[in-house]
Amino acid sequence: MPMTKTMLGRLSLLLMAIGFAALLATGAGLVWLVESTRSFAGGVTSSQVVRVAAGQVLALVQDAETSQRGFLLTGERSYLDPYLAAIEALPRELPELTRLIVEDGGQPAPPRLLAEMVATKLQELAETIALAEAGQLDGALAIVRTDRGKVGMDAIRAVVRGIEARAAARLDRRSEGLDRSGRQLLFGAGAALLLMLAVSLGAGALALRYTRDLEAAEAAVRSANAGLEQRVAERTAALTAANDEVQRFAYIVSHDLRAPLVNVMGFTAELEAAVVPLAALIAAADAAAPGLVTAEARAAVAEDIPEAVGFIRSSTQRMDRLINAILRLSREGRRALQPEPVALGDLLAGLAASVRHQLEAAGARLEVAPGMPVVHSDRLALEQIFGNLIDNAVNYLDPARPGRIVLRGRVAGGQAVVEVEDNGRGIDPRDHGRIFELFRRSGRQDRPGEGIGLAHVRALARRLGGEVECRSTPGIGSTFRVTLALAAPDHPAPIAEEPA
Amino acid sequence: MSAATPTASPLAVTIVMVEDDEGHARLIEKNLKRAGVFNEVKHFRDGTSALDFLVGAGRAEHRPLLVLLDLNLPDMSGFDILAKLKADPQLRAAPVIVLTTTDDEREIRRGYELGCSVYITKPVNYETFAQAVRQLGLFLAVIQVPPTP
Repeated sequence: MPMTKTMLGRLSLLLMAIGFAALLATGAGLVWLVESTRSFAGGVTSSQVVRVAAGQVLALVQDAETSQRGFLLTGERSYLDPYLAAIEALPRELPELTRLIVEDGGQPAPPRLLAEMVATKLQELAETIALAEAGQLDGALAIVRTDRGKVGMDAIRAVVRGIEARAAARLDRRSEGLDRSGRQLLFGAGAALLLMLAVSLGAGALALRYTRDLEAAEAAVRSANAGLEQRVAERTAALTAANDEVQRFAYIVSHDLRAPLVNVMGFTAELEAAVVPLAALIAAADAAAPGLVTAEARAAVAEDIPEAVGFIRSSTQRMDRLINAILRLSREGRRALQPEPVALGDLLAGLAASVRHQLEAAGARLEVAPGMPVVHSDRLALEQIFGNLIDNAVNYLDPARPGRIVLRGRVAGGQAVVEVEDNGRGIDPRDHGRIFELFRRSGRQDRPGEGIGLAHVRALARRLGGEVECRSTPGIGSTFRVTLALAAPDHPAPIAEEPA
Repeated sequence: MSAATPTASPLAVTIVMVEDDEGHARLIEKNLKRAGVFNEVKHFRDGTSALDFLVGAGRAEHRPLLVLLDLNLPDMSGFDILAKLKADPQLRAAPVIVLTTTDDEREIRRGYELGCSVYITKPVNYETFAQAVRQLGLFLAVIQVPPTP
């Protein structure tokens, strides 16, 4: 399936999104790992603090016991200083230890048990010291000998060891967790890297495939273009050939039609000449023997034959004009155009001057509006086009109103547009297409002409890369609009005809 | 269609008319006579027979010739005949009058380039045609045709 630009965009976006997601996940994992490490460090510290605090409590209790023993042995009050310091410090240290253990994630029960035990131990110490101070040293020693103090002390040591061991276990668990998450992150980052690599490769492959598709499409377009150009060239050649064929046809027809016409006219003249002696004979016979010449014979020589000859002559002359018109069109089609810069304003002013006398006779005005374009075209053809249109405008003015002919020009859509507008008698809408055909005329046939001018105008306009069209309302006027290529097509000189 | 006239002298110019249209040929002959040209007229209806007479093998020694040539022949173009005449050392100097229906200036130019003496367009209007042929007759009357060796 060929890849479209939209598809490429979407796929690239998807791949990029996947890559970014992987990157984001890796980043988030790193942040999480840093956070874990930090909390692990905190955990290590707090475990250590718990162990130190527990050790401190144990030391204080041991100090108190040692101090008690020293006092009992010596009776010296100075030995009681560590005991006094311990009973002063322990009520602070014990709740602190509980708090630290709870903070470290441990249970609050063991430190509370410890506190109770310490309290019991301190109770025993206080009793013995009180007895000793009261002078009952034996009673105090008796209490010591009960091993109550030793048992309590052993229990305290056991509880402290338990607290320390649990703190160490928590530390180990944390260490393991950190290790595990570090490994997981490593795997995750590796997977993300692999994914990004895959995404990059995928995007590269996509781009490559898209580029290949583009190249293939471009090659296809190129070959299609080449084919198109060739087809255009072939069509153009075919059209040119067809056009040449039509030209040749018109040329041959007009030549071969003319040859019999020469005979018709020539022998008509012979007939006419032959009638002269016949008429003289009739006249002589009439004079010599009036009864001999019949009225039919007289009429034949005097009227019928001259009349027939007259019709033959006018018809052949008309036919000759038509053939000449075809011949002229055919020649015009074969004439090589000679494009040159032509200022239409000057050209039209010249044509207007050539019909000045007719305009004056008709009491009409002709105006060339300013702003006429300059074209690169065949001057002679342009003169014939606008000469014909201006002649028509002048010939078909409406005597009911003062004639007014306006020529306007402009450049529009890469073409020169010239309008010849008159307020003449106008053309029936039915005839707007027909008037451009050869030998077709419209309206009252009260002006000389063969119906050639507009056919000629259209043929010329088309040769100059343009067209002519008509807008007209009977009784209002007509506008002939000629569009011309700003630069006339460069026709090669036509191939010389074989004489026909 | 040949018409030997009683007044033709042995050295008088012979008119060779190459014209495929019978009517045209007849009209030309009639009008030549009306114009007072009574030279012998040899008429050929196609290019092949005309060339055979003019430059073919075993042709007779030509007396002075004038060629009236139609361009529109069934078997070849009059220009071919004109070119062959002008390439022939014996006939090169013979005047050639091209008669045709066309007044195409390119054809006229080609005719003169190939060496025709006069190019006459066959008109449809009888008066102008008769006038043209009469002028041709006058032309024939005054022209100095060098005797061919």
